[in-house]
Amino acid sequence: MQTRARAEIVDIGRTAGTGAPSASVILVAERVSKSFAGVNALQDVDFDLRRGEVHALMGENGAGKSTLMKILAGVHADYDGDIRIDGQSAAFTGVRDAEEAGVAIIHQELNLVPELSVADNIFLGREPLIAGVLIDRRRMIRAAERLLRRLGLAIAPESRLADLRVGEQQLVEIAKALSLNARILIMDEPTSALSSSECARLFKIVRQLSADGVAIIYTSHRIEEVLDLADRVTVLRDGRRVVTADIGDLSRGAIIAAMVGRDMAASERGTTARDNAVVLAVKDLTLDTLGPQGWRRILHGVSFELRSGEILGIAGLLGAGRTEILESIFGVARGRRGGTIAINGAAAGIASPAEAYRLGVALVSEDRKERGLHLGDTICDNIALPSIGAISRFGLRAFAAERALAADMVKRLSVRCTGIGQMTASLSGGNQQKIVIGKWLATSPRILLLDEPTRGIDIGAKLEIYRLIFDLAAQGLGIVVVTSEMPELLLLSDRILVMCEGRQTGILRRENATQEAVMRLAAPGGATQSWGGAI
Amino acid sequence: MKAFRLLSRTKLYWGLVIICLIGALTSPMTSSGKNIFLSYGNLTDVLRQVSITGLVATGMTMVILLGGIDLSVGSVMGFATVICAMLLTKPGWTAASVMGVPAAVAVSGAAVALLARFILRGLARGRDVSAGRRADIVLSPLRGVWMPALLGLIAAVAVAWFTVSQVQVKFGVLGVLLVTPCLALLLGAINGLLVVSGRLQPFIVTLAMMVSALGIARLTAGQDNAVVPVYTGSNATAAFEFLRSMLWGVLPVPSVFFLVAIVLFGAILRFTTFGRYAYAIGGNVEAAKLSGIKVGQVQFTAYLLSGLLAGIAGVLFVAQYRQGKPDAGTGLELDAIAAVVIGGTSLMGGRGGLAGTFVGVLIFGLLSDILQLQNIDSNVQLLMKGLIIVGTVLVQEQTVGHLIARWRFSRSHGLPADPKSADPDRLPSATKARFAREDLDEAS
Repeated sequence: MQTRARAEIVDIGRTAGTGAPSASVILVAERVSKSFAGVNALQDVDFDLRRGEVHALMGENGAGKSTLMKILAGVHADYDGDIRIDGQSAAFTGVRDAEEAGVAIIHQELNLVPELSVADNIFLGREPLIAGVLIDRRRMIRAAERLLRRLGLAIAPESRLADLRVGEQQLVEIAKALSLNARILIMDEPTSALSSSECARLFKIVRQLSADGVAIIYTSHRIEEVLDLADRVTVLRDGRRVVTADIGDLSRGAIIAAMVGRDMAASERGTTARDNAVVLAVKDLTLDTLGPQGWRRILHGVSFELRSGEILGIAGLLGAGRTEILESIFGVARGRRGGTIAINGAAAGIASPAEAYRLGVALVSEDRKERGLHLGDTICDNIALPSIGAISRFGLRAFAAERALAADMVKRLSVRCTGIGQMTASLSGGNQQKIVIGKWLATSPRILLLDEPTRGIDIGAKLEIYRLIFDLAAQGLGIVVVTSEMPELLLLSDRILVMCEGRQTGILRRENATQEAVMRLAAPGGATQSWGGAI
Repeated sequence: MKAFRLLSRTKLYWGLVIICLIGALTSPMTSSGKNIFLSYGNLTDVLRQVSITGLVATGMTMVILLGGIDLSVGSVMGFATVICAMLLTKPGWTAASVMGVPAAVAVSGAAVALLARFILRGLARGRDVSAGRRADIVLSPLRGVWMPALLGLIAAVAVAWFTVSQVQVKFGVLGVLLVTPCLALLLGAINGLLVVSGRLQPFIVTLAMMVSALGIARLTAGQDNAVVPVYTGSNATAAFEFLRSMLWGVLPVPSVFFLVAIVLFGAILRFTTFGRYAYAIGGNVEAAKLSGIKVGQVQFTAYLLSGLLAGIAGVLFVAQYRQGKPDAGTGLELDAIAAVVIGGTSLMGGRGGLAGTFVGVLIFGLLSDILQLQNIDSNVQLLMKGLIIVGTVLVQEQTVGHLIARWRFSRSHGLPADPKSADPDRLPSATKARFAREDLDEAS
């Protein structure tokens, strides 16, 4: 295997141009089934992949997408059914097997080593060797250079991976897959962590790869993206295939209906709250952080007012300073903060979450697994955590009150679980998100800051979260939502504050807010740019 | 399956049961045919033997639960033995009393003031503990500042009067029990301060304290490796003998200290918000911080308590071995960590508890007792200790339940069980969580 891998490096740069994309089938899977501990994750799924096509695999969480992809990539070796590649039966016993056969998978969570260089990462475990012992760094770096150039990436192969942006790291994963001479590339949610411009670049590369004859299996929660990119789509639901069709034959609504199994129109919302009291007033907010190059200004004077019952959307590209606004208000931003923040008319220099909590400010952070939840704890413990100080006396926990609080939240948010004693790690993404929101609702906040509240959750759960946000606004909470998804932004927001490179470029009222208007304000230099999701 | 689950849940105690069985079966008999191992005297003696390690391990458990580590406890205890022995045997203003008296005055004053404020706050809060965010309890300056400060001052003056009066004659039992832990607590406070405010690695901070506390202890003792002997009745008060006696002829006094510490701190971890915060911080410090928990305060307190308990252990050491010496606690920190770990507390924090530590401490105590009864070389004991650490941790990581599930799975399917899907407990916690999520995703 070592020899083979090394031999490939020599002509990696030339794999392009295996001929025009044809309709010939490269991979066929028939009646594939797989169960985990007696539960069927996949049942008699048929799937075929043509050379040079982008085949989108859609479905809610738990529909069986990941299982199917993992089977195709050799991660799961024990399944029922037949898989043939180029007509030959392919029974992979491991990922290495699949790689030999030209199947590479890019997982949603990147499998890269942050401290190593780009080239080291691409050839990790398959380094070109001199005399079978020493790593041939020069050859490795040249090969990496060729791969990066093919992807149109202006990154030095020697640069440390941790210094790259997430989007660039993703592309390094693709380079790694290409270095394996992959003919079939499986991409699991590649855009979930990318900014719109990074998405656009990724799409370009995906199209180019497919033009080169690489067959691509692609999953994403963003339907717009799939409509834009895919040639064909297969929808899975509850482990079964619902439909496979050319993308032209399916509308957005039809795909959603196939995924969810029922029609689901997002609820519209008419009322706004222009005359309510101002609950949060931010004036000339600045933030400086200390980086390797000294102090750098992240936020350049952000000012806005939030009224009770209002939903303020914050739009902008990744790195525009959206999250930093929320973190500054909540008292967790790293660095020096300037400007004034007033809550209910009183100046408040919130310096810690404990203080924010006292003033009735809640932050639902972007990264629910790392920063939002204690995955090893029960639902009850998670929901009660911010409140236990308030519902205890003399530091003694009030277990009954904690349970009552959690039970009430679970009911109010219709969390699907076996009970408040269930571990949060075993909940689905949407339900985990509800727990994070619930743990803050339990503190009866007046101001709710939501950072990417629907990232990585399926569409059914998304709609429930939207409805919840509307309900909360109707109850008089002031809500600030940061989101990268344009349809979500336009749907939720009463007003939209647009950020560009740390500067506030405008506030749009709901009636003036269109995708184009937001994009114009968000793009650096006023240039229009393609956005992650089109309406 | 219910039986299996019970087995898995109580696996902590099975090691203890097994080692007791081994002890009982291999024990030599007295001439009258009684089992020496099971005799009351022997068992209480084991409790006495483990008390010092046990106290230190109690503090260590809290630090480890928070995801930290305290390597300094051995040296701090050594320092405490020197202080205690010097206070007992040397009248007048020695290095020990010069450090000890102000420390005791400051610590007890602050402790009483904080306690008063805590109680006044609790009273002000009222009985209503309904759910939801409450208005912040704002104490009037009288209750919030002046009353606690006054009470603290009274306590400080009382302690000052008491300790200074003891300096001239030698210190008595109460005096050393008050002064020594206060000094050790201050060393713990330095640890805590450096970890919390200095944002330094606990390993490094406490390593530095481990080295410097040994240095301070030697400087205090006067000359290198000095041993300060304590002869109760001749160079020290006879009342100090109390700390090594049997309480009402039932339990050795040191073990009473140990048991009380286990129960008290066990209750704190289980029933107070402090305990809940400790677990939350150990489990995911970032999420805990965002949940409004004052992470620094909790961490600081844990190091403080660890120092305090090491100080009490130091006093008990002097009573037990009739001497104070700087290197009294050499290696103690590792014994304590070992006991905590075989008690099932994760070194990553967030998982475990004091019941486990109690069992862990007892397992080690019973083991050396059994080997002593068999007259086995003490070096063999060390080897056995090592094996037990590895053995128990192996069993703990691969929970019995999962071993059984795997075995049943492979039997019912006639194929080797997929280790990945059958045994998520072997993975590090982050991966594990992801695993559990994915499995549910697929299975739902």
